[in-house]
Amino acid sequence: MAKEMIAMLLAGGQGSRLYALTQKLAKPAVPFGGKYRIIDFPLSNCVNSGIDTVGILTQYQPLVLNEYIGNGQPWDLDRLYGGVHVLPPYQQASGSDWYKGTANAIYQNLSFIERYDPQYVIILSGDQICKQDYSDFLKFHKEKGAEFSVAVMEVPWEEASRFGLMVADEDDRIMEFQEKPKDPKSNLASMGIYIFNWDILKKYLEEDEADPNSENDFGNNIIPNLLRDHRKMYAYHFSGYWKDVGTISSLWEANMEVLDPEHSGINLFDDDWKIYSRNSGMTGHKVSPGATVENSMITDGCRIKGTVRHSILFSGVKVEEGALVEDAVIMGGTVIKAGAAVKHCIVAENVTICENAVVGAMPSGEESGVATIGAGVTIGPDAKIGPKAMVSKNVEGGEEQW
Amino acid sequence: MVNSNLNALGIIFPNSYDPLVPELVNLRLMASIPFASRYRMIDFILSSMANCGIDNISIMVNNNYHSLMDHLGSGREWDLARKNGGLNIFPPFAEKTSKPYTGRVGAMASILDFLRSQKEKYVVISDTNIAVNFDFNDMLKAHMESGADITSAYNEQEFPESLMRNTSNDKGFYYTFSIDQGRVTKIYVNAREPGIHNFGMNIHIIDRELLIDLVNTAFVRGHSYFERDIMLPQLDRLHVHAYKYEGYLARISGMKSYFDENMKLLEDENLDALFSAAPIYTKIRDDNPTRYIPGAQVQNVMVADGCIIEGTVENSILFRGVKVAKGAVVKNCILMQDTVIEADAKVEYLITDKRVTISEGKEMKGTDSFPFYIAKGHKV
Repeated sequence: MAKEMIAMLLAGGQGSRLYALTQKLAKPAVPFGGKYRIIDFPLSNCVNSGIDTVGILTQYQPLVLNEYIGNGQPWDLDRLYGGVHVLPPYQQASGSDWYKGTANAIYQNLSFIERYDPQYVIILSGDQICKQDYSDFLKFHKEKGAEFSVAVMEVPWEEASRFGLMVADEDDRIMEFQEKPKDPKSNLASMGIYIFNWDILKKYLEEDEADPNSENDFGNNIIPNLLRDHRKMYAYHFSGYWKDVGTISSLWEANMEVLDPEHSGINLFDDDWKIYSRNSGMTGHKVSPGATVENSMITDGCRIKGTVRHSILFSGVKVEEGALVEDAVIMGGTVIKAGAAVKHCIVAENVTICENAVVGAMPSGEESGVATIGAGVTIGPDAKIGPKAMVSKNVEGGEEQW
Repeated sequence: MVNSNLNALGIIFPNSYDPLVPELVNLRLMASIPFASRYRMIDFILSSMANCGIDNISIMVNNNYHSLMDHLGSGREWDLARKNGGLNIFPPFAEKTSKPYTGRVGAMASILDFLRSQKEKYVVISDTNIAVNFDFNDMLKAHMESGADITSAYNEQEFPESLMRNTSNDKGFYYTFSIDQGRVTKIYVNAREPGIHNFGMNIHIIDRELLIDLVNTAFVRGHSYFERDIMLPQLDRLHVHAYKYEGYLARISGMKSYFDENMKLLEDENLDALFSAAPIYTKIRDDNPTRYIPGAQVQNVMVADGCIIEGTVENSILFRGVKVAKGAVVKNCILMQDTVIEADAKVEYLITDKRVTISEGKEMKGTDSFPFYIAKGHKV
């Protein structure tokens, strides 16, 4: 039986701008929002939208991601026919190659899509925080009789030149595409989420592959080619919360926005649109006598004896007596020992911050930045980590790093 | 470890001791009573078995078991959704003359054919009224070394007050042992002498062939209870080895002990003792992390995911999805799943069952020795 629409999720990105956080894992596997990883958002969106077949294209550091996805059960994607499949590059009779670009990654897996013979294929990106109903997007695509649609967000005009922009007419038909232009003609930014009619996708990917000068990229090659041929291309307006968490500061910011769903619009407390994740299996968290917890999100396995303000703690984080955590994102299994101060920063998984160490600082004047500590690092007693530091190796006691 | 499977199958009796907590089992059974902020009582023994490589587990449900079926599902969360073995749920078999199981003998007699067709050499039997992180490997080793027919686990403790108060025998039987050089020489039923006792945990290991034999004989004679009717009268013929359990356990023997055993877990020492040996699994609800809104004040609490806290909470256990609104004060309470404490309500020494709502501004107070219980779904 053919599927109406299957999803292809691009998860091969290195996320080099997240440096210390992506040394050993791909960007989509980066933890987010207290108990999730970034990829939980597109995966949960798929399931909540009724899409039960997802191909995940991986390339960079896939081990953590592979193990995390497993058989897809936490997202209800362990299916007899369809379900979730991790698709790394593989050797074919004609040879083998790494994924050369986003379009080439899909091209190398055309036979995967063919197995399900879908009418439509949705291309998703594994590095965005967004709750979106893809079935609504598909409805739009069908109503317009489109061959290709792209989800777009209105962005402020002054920022428009940072984005790939879609110039559309009153009927939302796309007339032109501008990649990071100096003189924007539109403020509709592409979210990098596309719906293709399957026959169109196949035709253009094959054509693109045959072009030796192509970068094999959707934005730079496929979309211009579709425009050249006057294909029926439409822009679907999305107005909910959307964030590309490609940089340390945007990742930190998005986490902080989770703490303020009333204003930021990213509400994880939505029973009708749950975000699923693999569970830590730990006991409820504990707040001890004498501890303070203010305006924060805390999850299973945390033990809090110190002070936590305006922060997000992932599973199993320990905050000892007299330690202070403020404006911080602390990922799973990290221990913050007595007297340490951890502020305005991102601390990755299984980090130990020893007694009286100082990590990051609240912004003041010129000194502002989100200090970042990579996974598994130990910050020695009395060490000092400046607000702009990016730490991926152990720091000895008493040392300073800026 | 290649050979990870313990050569034993498990049988769990989820209804045992239901009468000790009549309020809590009104709509459920002992096994599905919520415990320790995100678990159900059965999670402990089931996870212990699974962690020890017991992956063929039969649950002899008797009555009020819908909540348990919902909780267990296919057994996947305990890694028990298997082709071979896994989780088997045995409700009483509906025949013209059928009635609920009477005691464990009747229950096991109804699955004798199943037991005969299994391959494991040993059978591990347990109830669900004790929350414990149990090492069945160690107990089986002791069983094999002693060469006993049956090995029974016990711990040393005083009788809970609720059992001492019980003057009739209508709330079920509990057992204490006299032990001589590791062998159980006498079993007492519902003893009431004060002091430390060798208190049976109703966890037994027995050779499968012998179990089939004993159950078959007992059932034919119209017997009901494994300990009272099989073990007790045959102590001279059967070698019953006593296995002393010295780890942490929480035994539910009444409403007060339910309250106390939950509260004890607010001590890190106790929480670690119960949970650190091996993971305890439970049904996943996919709640978001708990959110503390500005204005929230919390001290000495254990809180599961999915809660939203805006008021004051002290010395309490909150299960998943509890909401404490602005100005509300919660002290010394156990609030089960999806309880809502509305704005400015004040509650103390309360046990609220699932989906209870305490309306705006209401005040309710139980006492330390008699916590109030509010039944499932009620709005105060």
